[in-house]
Amino acid sequence: MTSRRSVLAGLAALCLPAPSWADVGNPRFLAAAKQGETYRLHGLTADGESLFSLPLPARGHAATAHPDQPLAVAFARRPGVFALVLDCRDGRLISTLTPPPGRQFNGHGAFSADGETLFTSEVIAETSEGRIGLWETRRFTRMGEAPSGGIGPHDVRRLADGNLVIANGGIATDPRDRTKLNIPDMRPNLTLLSQDGAILDQAALDPALNRNSIRHLALARDDRIAFAMQWEGDAAEAVPLLGLWSPGQAPTLCPAPETEQPRMQGYAGSIAVATDGRIGLTSPRGGLAQVFAPDGGYLASHARPDICGLAALPDGGFLASDGMGALLRITDGMTALQSHALAWDNHIVTLA
Amino acid sequence: MLRPLILALSLALSLAAPPSARADVAAVVQNHALPGYATLADAASALDAAAQADCAPAALAPAWNATFDAWMAVQHLHLGPVEEQGRGLAIHFWPDPKGRGRAAQRALLAGDPATLTPETFANQSVAARGLMALERLLFPATDALQGDTCTLIRLTTADLARSTAEIATLWQQGFAASLTTAGEPGNPRFLSQAEARQALLTQLTTGLEQLADQRLGRPLGSFDKPRPDLAEAHASARSLLNVTLSLQALRDLMVNLAPDSPKSRAAFDSALARATALNDPALAGVADPAGRLRIEILQQSIRATRDALLAELPPQLGVGIGFNALDGD
Repeated sequence: MTSRRSVLAGLAALCLPAPSWADVGNPRFLAAAKQGETYRLHGLTADGESLFSLPLPARGHAATAHPDQPLAVAFARRPGVFALVLDCRDGRLISTLTPPPGRQFNGHGAFSADGETLFTSEVIAETSEGRIGLWETRRFTRMGEAPSGGIGPHDVRRLADGNLVIANGGIATDPRDRTKLNIPDMRPNLTLLSQDGAILDQAALDPALNRNSIRHLALARDDRIAFAMQWEGDAAEAVPLLGLWSPGQAPTLCPAPETEQPRMQGYAGSIAVATDGRIGLTSPRGGLAQVFAPDGGYLASHARPDICGLAALPDGGFLASDGMGALLRITDGMTALQSHALAWDNHIVTLA
Repeated sequence: MLRPLILALSLALSLAAPPSARADVAAVVQNHALPGYATLADAASALDAAAQADCAPAALAPAWNATFDAWMAVQHLHLGPVEEQGRGLAIHFWPDPKGRGRAAQRALLAGDPATLTPETFANQSVAARGLMALERLLFPATDALQGDTCTLIRLTTADLARSTAEIATLWQQGFAASLTTAGEPGNPRFLSQAEARQALLTQLTTGLEQLADQRLGRPLGSFDKPRPDLAEAHASARSLLNVTLSLQALRDLMVNLAPDSPKSRAAFDSALARATALNDPALAGVADPAGRLRIEILQQSIRATRDALLAELPPQLGVGIGFNALDGD
């Protein structure tokens, strides 16, 4: 027999608005961390306070957030065998995504603007040939896949027009231990993909820079794509690690001065674009964040050991994270916002 | 009731904290970094005085060698003033596989001498300055640089004296305190004492990696293609000396940072004994099988030293090394 109370509760539930990010305190960011020997995903305010944290079964890499609902998809560190769809209100595991046989997740993903489709960066494990997996988001079942346009795709972002841009890093890796297999012959590229998986445009670097793996992406001003690279060539050559691409044109590279470029140790771990269009890059190896003008001109370096996560702050500047648990604000200088007893992992993800 | 609990808690916390958290960082600053940079500034100043008096290469070689020796005692410290404004690169631009330094010096020697002043020289490419630039001028190879090398030597020594003095002053007047006041309010650089310890531990491990991968790895090349021409400072035959001095310097840093680390000490001593026994000043032996094997064994013992240190020091210091820096993706 249905009690009056349960009927009322049911009616109340019907009247409730759809779950939203407000239900979890409106976090601005998501970031994965290692706490002791456990791994968690945190929701952060713009001040760097943790609003909630959810357990992860293994080391996370990046996450992507649903545009409206308080859902996050946390991706495992590459080569990934899982992605977790989490309800950020209570940490409930909504779904566990497993790549199809012979595929591996590669650490990043993106939702479509309407939230109906999830795109995942993947490789065919045996060949490192890139794929973008397509998942519907009501039950998170796989709908299909499309070629990513290169080897070893890593970051994937949705552009304002709904198309996707993919950083095909170019590196073929051993499916078991991440050993790099093709460094002399690697050919990274940027690929523009329509929502239904058609390759619309591609751009590659000058052949002399074929060992500069394009790995991370951020959307810059004027519909340009800012991309961050990791140099697999001679460590003594301090090559540019930032580039800008407008589809339809050749990419341009943005070097730092000769006194500053070597400090990055040939490695950019994260990239973000601030509200004023400034572009930030981090290097955990060099312990350095570098900031560039919207046009790619070098502006400043900020030293901080093991700095990696980077995202735009709503009121200007960047939020950065490091492996010692600090969250920092980078404007013209760098100041600490919070210090947590954990190690922040590679990326900070901005919520829509 | 409450009071004993608080006492017990604070006692438990103090027991859990790593021992003598501050003494180790202070010891590195007082016994290692500050004297190292002061000695370097003095040596570079003496080299410059000698060069202004007489720029004959043979006369300058001893003072240049003394300056390089002093640099090797601090070369592994990639933090603070030496990292800013390209100071460290302008002291020691190496490796330089594309020969940028020689090309830049050649352009300076071919240009208008009137435009070369101490002020303009400080704005030249870091590749054209510092100890390696002086080596090309003082120890000419078959394709020696031509032109008014005397003026260029004097500009280079003056620049080196200026930048090393700047670093010594900036350490004394600010960066030393940044390290020793780590975790105190108003210290934006190091938010905790652990951060300062971790920064110094990182200098140790990356210093050993650079020794094995660059100073030995570059001339070793591959078995089929050894590259003795890529050995650091081979023209002045101080390639092996630099390895030895760097090992001694890193050992000194470790002894100050973590005095009670017998396995790491033993590993350093073993690597140093191998370096001392090598007797191959320019590491030319990379090109013959027997000499190559001995250099490879030295390289292995340096890597073993890094492993020993990574096993022994982090628990003592209460820090690990770069969670993100090590992983990469």
